[in-house]
Amino acid sequence: MTHSISWIDRARIERAVWALDQRLYDLPRKSRIAKRREVRENLITATTDIGARGALRNLGNSRQLAAEYLSAEFGDEARPSWMAAALFLLTGQLILTSILTEAALAFGDGITAANPSATGTFTWRGIRYLQDTVTYTFVNGESTYVGGAWTPFAWVIWIVATIFVGRLWRVYSIWRRRHM
Amino acid sequence: MPSTHDPQLLKGVLSLLLLQLLAEQESYGYEVVQRLHQIGLLDVLEGTVYPALARLEREGRVSARLVSSKAGPARKYYRPTPAGYAALSSGTASWLSLADVVGSVLNRPTPAEPIEGA
Repeated sequence: MTHSISWIDRARIERAVWALDQRLYDLPRKSRIAKRREVRENLITATTDIGARGALRNLGNSRQLAAEYLSAEFGDEARPSWMAAALFLLTGQLILTSILTEAALAFGDGITAANPSATGTFTWRGIRYLQDTVTYTFVNGESTYVGGAWTPFAWVIWIVATIFVGRLWRVYSIWRRRHM
Repeated sequence: MPSTHDPQLLKGVLSLLLLQLLAEQESYGYEVVQRLHQIGLLDVLEGTVYPALARLEREGRVSARLVSSKAGPARKYYRPTPAGYAALSSGTASWLSLADVVGSVLNRPTPAEPIEGA
């Protein structure tokens, strides 16, 4: 029996393809797109054959399917996740830098609130050990500030955390298996 | 009749089955699944076959080409490469040899009690 594909079926197929695609970011881009297209095409064919519910049930869990695809592409050895590492580093930097910038600006606003025509140099230590001191220079209430950057110690923490999140030590294991 | 094949056993010979089916007829993913169902392997699902085809392609044992389809997007048809035919040949010989040995043991009559050790 041939089933027609309703827009709801189409949406369910796209959702399944999207869920799979989100877990395939570690694949090379071309390969990921090819997998996405192939799964979509097969799902459409299966839906016309057995309906969307059966087609999606037979496709199985997107997490497991993605793991199988990744294993097919890279082999069964434990792999690092460059995408997880990059996402962690970029979003972590974005969020924390935004928060700390707001904190530094709040410090400046506090000085202005206390003395609208302040003149002088004011420092805020920031997060000790992790941030350079923020130095505000006020001249008649007008301010500029410098500092607030991550310290070398903070960068070490960032790098260690990124390695941990992306399981990047596996790069070394893979390299060793292939070259030694 | 419900299928009761051991998934682990099937997984071990799935690539051989796929190579044989593709050697008989070039097919796309869902069609391969249907052909597996037709020969009685009802418990082999799409989620198992598609990555297995991707693995065979990465290993250079099958090649793929896109063929436009009236039903929707282009279909990806697979066929064995020379390396795939070689793998099929050696894998089949290996499987048949193993099946012979295992079969000869499993086909022996089972005694009511095991013979006691010395």
